[in-house]
Amino acid sequence: MKTRSNREIRRDQIVGVLIFLTIWEITARFLDNKLVLPSVSQIMAAFWDLLISGELILALSESIWLLVVGLFISTVIGFILGALVARSRTAYWMLNPYFSALFATPTIALVPLVLVWFGFGFPGRVIVVVLAAVVPIMFSVASGLRDDPKDLVDVARSFGVKGELALLFRVRVRAALPVLLAGLRLAAGRGVVGMAVAETYLRLGGIGGLIKSYGSLFQTDYVFASILPLSLLGITIVSLIGRLERRFHWS
Amino acid sequence: MKDAMLDTPAIELRGIRKTFKLSEERNAKTVLALDGIDLSFRKGEFTTIIGPSGCGKTTLLRIIASLETADEGDVLVDGDIVTEPGIRRAMVFQNFGLFPWKTVIDNVMFPLKLRNFPEEEARSKAIKQIKQVGLEKFSDAHPHQLSGGMQQRVGLARALATGADILLMDEPFGAIDAQTRELMQEEMMRICEEEKKTVIFITHDLDEAVMLADRVLLMSRGPGKVRELIDVDLPRPRFEYDVRAHKAFAEVRGHLWHELRNDLIEQSAEGKS
Repeated sequence: MKTRSNREIRRDQIVGVLIFLTIWEITARFLDNKLVLPSVSQIMAAFWDLLISGELILALSESIWLLVVGLFISTVIGFILGALVARSRTAYWMLNPYFSALFATPTIALVPLVLVWFGFGFPGRVIVVVLAAVVPIMFSVASGLRDDPKDLVDVARSFGVKGELALLFRVRVRAALPVLLAGLRLAAGRGVVGMAVAETYLRLGGIGGLIKSYGSLFQTDYVFASILPLSLLGITIVSLIGRLERRFHWS
Repeated sequence: MKDAMLDTPAIELRGIRKTFKLSEERNAKTVLALDGIDLSFRKGEFTTIIGPSGCGKTTLLRIIASLETADEGDVLVDGDIVTEPGIRRAMVFQNFGLFPWKTVIDNVMFPLKLRNFPEEEARSKAIKQIKQVGLEKFSDAHPHQLSGGMQQRVGLARALATGADILLMDEPFGAIDAQTRELMQEEMMRICEEEKKTVIFITHDLDEAVMLADRVLLMSRGPGKVRELIDVDLPRPRFEYDVRAHKAFAEVRGHLWHELRNDLIEQSAEGKS
């Protein structure tokens, strides 16, 4: 295949979306059942309504706040544990099985435990996001810091960088940054899932709560109108981190 | 008093001894890498170190740079014992040692910023050195965009920009193709002619060892020791004539090869490399 310019890619994407929406609209009008498949125009009307009433902005800001706090805590915990596992074989063999298990367990399965232990308020929701997002960060820190850039550490020392902590951040973490950001991108994707789970299975709130409550009212057009910003949120965060990755990558 | 100052060597090594453990275990066997090295390096003198692999020359250089500590003995810079890397000594690394995420100019500015030079001053010093090695067009390039020879020019510019008067060079041209190496050697001669640096330069290349040096230090292995110190009596500036055609060059080179050859043959007779 020929390589495509950015403009051609953009054109292909727009044409694709238009075809998809046209087929949707035609199918919806043909079915004529708002409960099963609302038409694109009905979804847009519902979206507009949510936007005007302020309901969407409120829910979205609540969700973003939850996601930001959750990802921040995941990064701190993941970094500390990852660094520990990278530098100590003992820590690696002791902790790794638990992290592998946590990575493989669907977050939703842990929700009842979180509910019992931390309640259904904000702390409980943050814990759910952390459970979903912490493992990729920890894995990426562990693998990124394991290949020790020994030559570059020598260079830094010879020119006067002193102390293990300074060497860790100025050389080791910087050298591992592309790997760490890839881990963060993966974590953000899982974090969005964790966020939606927390908002629908603990006390309702945010975008997840919006989807759940309109779902139980069988207002399918409003459900679609709420799913849309959730997807957009996920795409935006992941592509922002992708942009950071390109910024800090060197080859 | 003034004479005494002039006589103080730039670097002095007193009874350097270094052993290495063969593995991480507590009771692991140790090897003696360096055994009782006493040496001094005069100010402005260019010393090349040559010897079979495993003779401890890189370890010796790392000890001089304070990247490693000796088990016994002291390193003195200008008569003072040093235990940490310092601004008077700058190192040039075999694999260039450039930070791949930094541009050429940021790599050169790195040591200056560490020493708290103001941004503007660091930048102008860096630009000056980058110009001197002929890379001004590549200031904003990343190392992976440059050839090996160009990367080592950056490594050299970085060391020179620190203003250090002692250059520690660990086989700096070993990873560079032969023709570029010739150019780099010429450049090295020129730099040493212009600013009198004290240079300690490790090499595997006999020609290079003789061509650049005021003095060649021949080391032997098992354990690493000073085998011989040979003065190179070739007129300077050396970039102005064909050093290899000079009689003294052939003599010193011939002698060095004879000694090294014997050492290598002994080694292979022992059945280890």
